[in-house]
Amino acid sequence: MTKPPTSRKKLTRRNFISLGGGMAALAGVNLLPAMAKVLANPAPVQAAIVAAPPMATSTNIHLVGTDGWIYLPGPSSIVGDTPPRTVYPDPLAPGGRTTYIFGFRNVTGLSSTAVNDQKGKAQAPAPLLYVDQEADVRITLTNLGLQVRPDLVDSHTIHWHGFRNAIPLFDGVPEMSIAVPIGRDFTYYYKPHDPGTYMYHCHFEDVEHVQMGMTGVVFVRPAMNTPTQKYVYNDASTAYDREFVIFLTELWASAHYDDAHIQVSDWSEYSPDFWLMNGRCFPDTLQPAGDPLTIPGQPVLQYQPISSLVKANAGERVLLRFVNLGYQQHAMTLDGLSMRIVGKDATLLKGLGTTNPQIRNGADVSYETNTVYIGPGESYDAIFTAPNVTTDTTYLLYNRKFMYLNNGGTGTGGQMTEVRISPAGTLSPQAAPNT
Amino acid sequence: MQPTRKRYGLKLKGGWAVTVLLCALVLSCAPAQTSRVEAAGLAQATTPSSGLVCTTSPDASFTLTAETGYISTPDGNTIFMWSYSPDATSFQYPGPFLCVNQGDTVTVTLKNTLPEDVSIIFPGQQDVLANGIPSQPQYLNGELTSLTTVAGKNGGTVTYSFVAKEPGTYLYESGTDIEKQTQMGLFGGLVVRPSGHPNQAYANSGSKFNPSTEFTMLLSEIDPDLHQAIERGTRFDITTYHPRYWMINGRSFPDTIADNGAAWLPTQPYGALVHMQPKSASNPDPALVRYLNVGMRNHPFHPHGNNGRVIGRDGSALVGPIGEDLSYEKYLVLVGSSQTWDVTYDWTDTDLWQPNTNPIPVTIPSQQDLTFKDSATWYSGSPYLGIQDELPVGVTSYNECGEYYHVWHSHALNEAANYDTGFGGMFTLQRIDPPSPNTCP
Repeated sequence: MTKPPTSRKKLTRRNFISLGGGMAALAGVNLLPAMAKVLANPAPVQAAIVAAPPMATSTNIHLVGTDGWIYLPGPSSIVGDTPPRTVYPDPLAPGGRTTYIFGFRNVTGLSSTAVNDQKGKAQAPAPLLYVDQEADVRITLTNLGLQVRPDLVDSHTIHWHGFRNAIPLFDGVPEMSIAVPIGRDFTYYYKPHDPGTYMYHCHFEDVEHVQMGMTGVVFVRPAMNTPTQKYVYNDASTAYDREFVIFLTELWASAHYDDAHIQVSDWSEYSPDFWLMNGRCFPDTLQPAGDPLTIPGQPVLQYQPISSLVKANAGERVLLRFVNLGYQQHAMTLDGLSMRIVGKDATLLKGLGTTNPQIRNGADVSYETNTVYIGPGESYDAIFTAPNVTTDTTYLLYNRKFMYLNNGGTGTGGQMTEVRISPAGTLSPQAAPNT
Repeated sequence: MQPTRKRYGLKLKGGWAVTVLLCALVLSCAPAQTSRVEAAGLAQATTPSSGLVCTTSPDASFTLTAETGYISTPDGNTIFMWSYSPDATSFQYPGPFLCVNQGDTVTVTLKNTLPEDVSIIFPGQQDVLANGIPSQPQYLNGELTSLTTVAGKNGGTVTYSFVAKEPGTYLYESGTDIEKQTQMGLFGGLVVRPSGHPNQAYANSGSKFNPSTEFTMLLSEIDPDLHQAIERGTRFDITTYHPRYWMINGRSFPDTIADNGAAWLPTQPYGALVHMQPKSASNPDPALVRYLNVGMRNHPFHPHGNNGRVIGRDGSALVGPIGEDLSYEKYLVLVGSSQTWDVTYDWTDTDLWQPNTNPIPVTIPSQQDLTFKDSATWYSGSPYLGIQDELPVGVTSYNECGEYYHVWHSHALNEAANYDTGFGGMFTLQRIDPPSPNTCP
């Protein structure tokens, strides 16, 4: 390759502002090149969830970015203003669904034909990912393009939010490195050294792509894990039996409608209508986990596969991984149970030790609470002990900001779910998070 | 999708030029921070291109003038502001960062050129005096008129004094007609350094930082309708408050990454670029970032690249009663309205990737298979720190020496915008240079 002359000049405000929109000129882009890939160690074919064996040394994940449709329960219609238009349910929505999204899908291990077939079938939220500390993690992102908006040639990226000592090429901010054009693949590489709860999202035109749904949770399992005992961090105080991700976002119906109908949004007018927990609104949050490749009992939820129903046996320690990737702050309250906050932002809540200042074995700064107040981009790891019930007992986990506990202004909905505790020995061990 | 740019109110095309013109014709804007401070007779080291610009005084005595001026936003708008300026002849937004030492008796004389009463409160300071007597809320006929003693409109003066008892990061702001005057820009930052430890944020050794990498993230919001109403002398209903601009140190991205004292931002002297080197044996101490939120909204601020370590909040070190370390790490700092957070940062080349001896085990696609957004990039062309490699023809690179760039921004992403246009607002960059010696300019 001949070395191209590149213009390396200092940024001035004038030439920055003069940069137009649109992509870099890419000559000769062919749509959808061969996507068959040989993965050295593919994760199990499980579309909603990637499960790595305990302490995998290498994990390969294949995601696609595309658009799709989800179902949100709500009023008969929501009319947006300027101009007045029915933004919910979207009249273009197929199959009883209501709302246009951008999103990811996990296609690890699928044939290239099957991968291509996921165009227009994005899920909300993005697939729940988890990997092991010190593993070589490769996440290949394929941009399938947008089924509804062939005119919109947006690239996508993956930003692993909170990844420590990140390399810009794998940080997913297009202006700081690169983005993935339609019809192309890019493999992000990570070597996670720090266990805990993180999130990931597209950073391409982030205000739009994050609101449109390209957001999800990734967590790193600690080296201390054994086949029979799980921990949040490499610290015995963080042992748990069951885990549930509580992933919070908001949805502004007008913006989603406008993206489907070739209109633009003024993001300074952000005014959401729906408040989602793991991509669903109550009471859909209670529906069981699904798989986007299979039509579930409630067919409209096919592309919202993550359940928020928290189930545990009496006496078990239950981990709730709270993550917020909306633009608002939320106050998640667990009525009748006390939670211990053991970690925030993928950090064990212990002070630095005196013997080795790099190790968090100092003062315990964890604390008890029944409300997790969480801002956009934060994560909280909360553990509660299931009370000693002798009959099935239900507790509610909900957003104490009551104005967010509705679906488009109607009913009791939004960010709410149930915590169902059964007598000891009722449930078998948990096979995967949020099940 | 890039939204089309709309124009509202007094938004003007070519706001950069318009601002300079206004300054030249009307406001006699001084060209740089340094000269203004010198004009006020205050000590001022050479202004660094990035990082905290301290305004200091041998006897911790400062004079601030409340006055009017204009600032510009990256989308071409020009906004009418009020602010505390460190001298009487020029305007700057925000007010200066006043740096004093623990134990100093700090004296701030406020001169008021505005057409209404103005004051200063010092949240976090105790036993503040106003004109020599304890500062007290002001009442007229039983109604609260100010949180403290005022400098009367059109030329009044008041002198506040207090002993800076505790090290930390603090705000100072107007205590009069507060919801309007603070929004108009009457605020600034106060840094109190611990006795005998200029390279620590607090008395504890865990708060040590590299003094050449000390930064502020002074977070503020602007609703241009409020400013237009004040400029035109009409009423503004604060319950309709709806910010459209979000700022760090008085600028919105990309202005945030311009140098301190950039000539084309004559009334906005403070940049917000976080410029540092990797942690190493020769650079063992972290950077210090002092967050201050003067807005009415909480701001969730996300530094890419690494977690920060929260070592202090609201002027209190995170140290237990027997000296134990109570700090914790965050990849997102939710800075509440009026809060300050002191956070240390480093970036470590953890895995020591090298192109020949320790390559990153993944294949990077050819350039024609990648998007270089807007044909401009901060990327070096290489994943390896300190190495520049080829970029496509026609792509403009802002990379100088193989340095890394990460974005730091509000994760309420509607705030990472200038009005309706993304990639702006409460947003800045972290620049990580290769370890010294390097070829960086």
